[in-house]
Amino acid sequence: MNDNTAAIRVENLTKIYKSALGANEVHALTDVSLDVQRGEIFGLLGPNGAGKTTLVKILLGALRITSGTAFVNGNSIDDSAARAKVGFLPENHRFPSYQTGMQMLLCFGGMAGLSRSEITAKAGPLLELVDMHKWRDTRIKKYSKGMMQRLGLAQAMLNDPDIIFLDEPTDGVDPIGRREIRDILGELKKQGKTVFLNSHLLAEVESICDRVAILDKGRLIKTGPVHNLITVKPSYKIETAEIGDDITEEIKAAYPGAVVENNIITVVFDDKYMISGLIDLLRQNYIDILAVIPEKISLEDSFMQLIRGGGDHEQV
Amino acid sequence: MNKFNAILLDSLLEIRSRKIIYIYAAVTLFLILLFAFIPSMQIQGEDLFESEFMSSELFSKILAHFFDGFIGFFIFLLVFGTAFLLPSYLGKGRIELTLSKPISRWKLLTMKFVAVYLIHMFILILMSLLLWLTISFRLGQFSWGILPGIMFSFVHFLFIYLFVFVIGALTRSGALAIMGYFIIRFAANLLESREVAYQFIGESVWTSILDWMYYIFPKFGEVGGNFMSLMRGDGFVNFFSIYTTLIFCAVIYALTLYIFSRRDY
Repeated sequence: MNDNTAAIRVENLTKIYKSALGANEVHALTDVSLDVQRGEIFGLLGPNGAGKTTLVKILLGALRITSGTAFVNGNSIDDSAARAKVGFLPENHRFPSYQTGMQMLLCFGGMAGLSRSEITAKAGPLLELVDMHKWRDTRIKKYSKGMMQRLGLAQAMLNDPDIIFLDEPTDGVDPIGRREIRDILGELKKQGKTVFLNSHLLAEVESICDRVAILDKGRLIKTGPVHNLITVKPSYKIETAEIGDDITEEIKAAYPGAVVENNIITVVFDDKYMISGLIDLLRQNYIDILAVIPEKISLEDSFMQLIRGGGDHEQV
Repeated sequence: MNKFNAILLDSLLEIRSRKIIYIYAAVTLFLILLFAFIPSMQIQGEDLFESEFMSSELFSKILAHFFDGFIGFFIFLLVFGTAFLLPSYLGKGRIELTLSKPISRWKLLTMKFVAVYLIHMFILILMSLLLWLTISFRLGQFSWGILPGIMFSFVHFLFIYLFVFVIGALTRSGALAIMGYFIIRFAANLLESREVAYQFIGESVWTSILDWMYYIFPKFGEVGGNFMSLMRGDGFVNFFSIYTTLIFCAVIYALTLYIFSRRDY
């Protein structure tokens, strides 16, 4: 038992895949360190092949570490006790097609250490929550992808876990279902559960997560609260009446990087107070201001900037 | 529901879905109906059902041959019935979820092994006993000596199933598990009859090598010989084959557990 308060702690984790004869090596993760605090929704982002699924699989005991250490709920991941209060919904899962939804909960709940009566008592409300109660006695092979995701989510919550790992939880789910899953995650957060979310849907991560980590080519390049990643620099669009060429030149000289097109000025400031100066400049030149629209840099934009930029790990 | 019961339930549901269990049941039912309702059965001009001259010794021998064939066929089917169970259990998309449960890997594999084994043994014993009872009631004789033989099929099947299981665990392929088992079986049978080869190769270093391989390798045929001998009431004829096969199986099972515990999924 590791004496720390983090729900998940990863220290200098490296994972190298070797070919059968050891001739080829793939560095899936290199010196990754991160903490996930109890009660937070933590998002893991990265392009395909960044090492996201490798990290989740290591934390859940499916892959072995090459070097470094990792703890889940204070227990080393080498100890099966680390997985006692953990729920997991894997990506591209293949639930046993010969089982019904209820039988699947009985089997995986039993493997998680629950008694039959506990499973039966919890399964009803959980299946109700994910809107699968009508199909509890239908074989999984007849389920759609979205139904399997919902069942998988119920399975992940069955043992009342402290930490839930979700790998692409809204994959194959319709927009209403996505909203419902997001609501469930919000509810889990209220209950003090820790959620580790692995998703390529940046908008989803942006709307749900408290903090995110961005992985690229096996390296952690950024971790921090979502709002710090999103609002990198204040950006505005200012719609005006007719702007002459002389004023346009003056604006560009005063604010390098500003773009003026069709009487719309797009500009990124170093701090949000600098907009006053631009407004003063327009007023001094008798230019009517029609609208000032603050622009939010989405997580997707921030993510793209980071991936293109590469670089060392940065805590924001 | 404890962890073993959960794995047992999963195995039972999968075995049922693979439908090979229905072949066991159909064959047994056919034989039960045959023995229950066939009006006569001629053996060397004597009607087996009417003959008052058939000694209990002859009856036991006939029954031993019959059950040798029946259980042999059953075990042959079990190879195909069990080969795909573990690879499906270890399949991508499923094993990650299973390994995320708080069970150590060696326990997980062993529980799966025992669960599948117990289910098949239960089916084998149940069907063999039903058939034995039908024949015994119809013929009016109870050959109790058959029962230890039927029980010994536990051991015989254990060895065969272990090879199918181990190859399935290592390759994650049902087809390779079947193929691998039959190759090992073929090699083991060749070693058991190695003395025929000595007539051609004479005394050489090869005879020593083949002898050593024979001592080490499993001896499916000789283990099966005990089965027939037990049913005839002659007791065990070859303990050596049992314990050397047992040792070999224990070693490869331990090795499989080690590899399974270290492997990435």
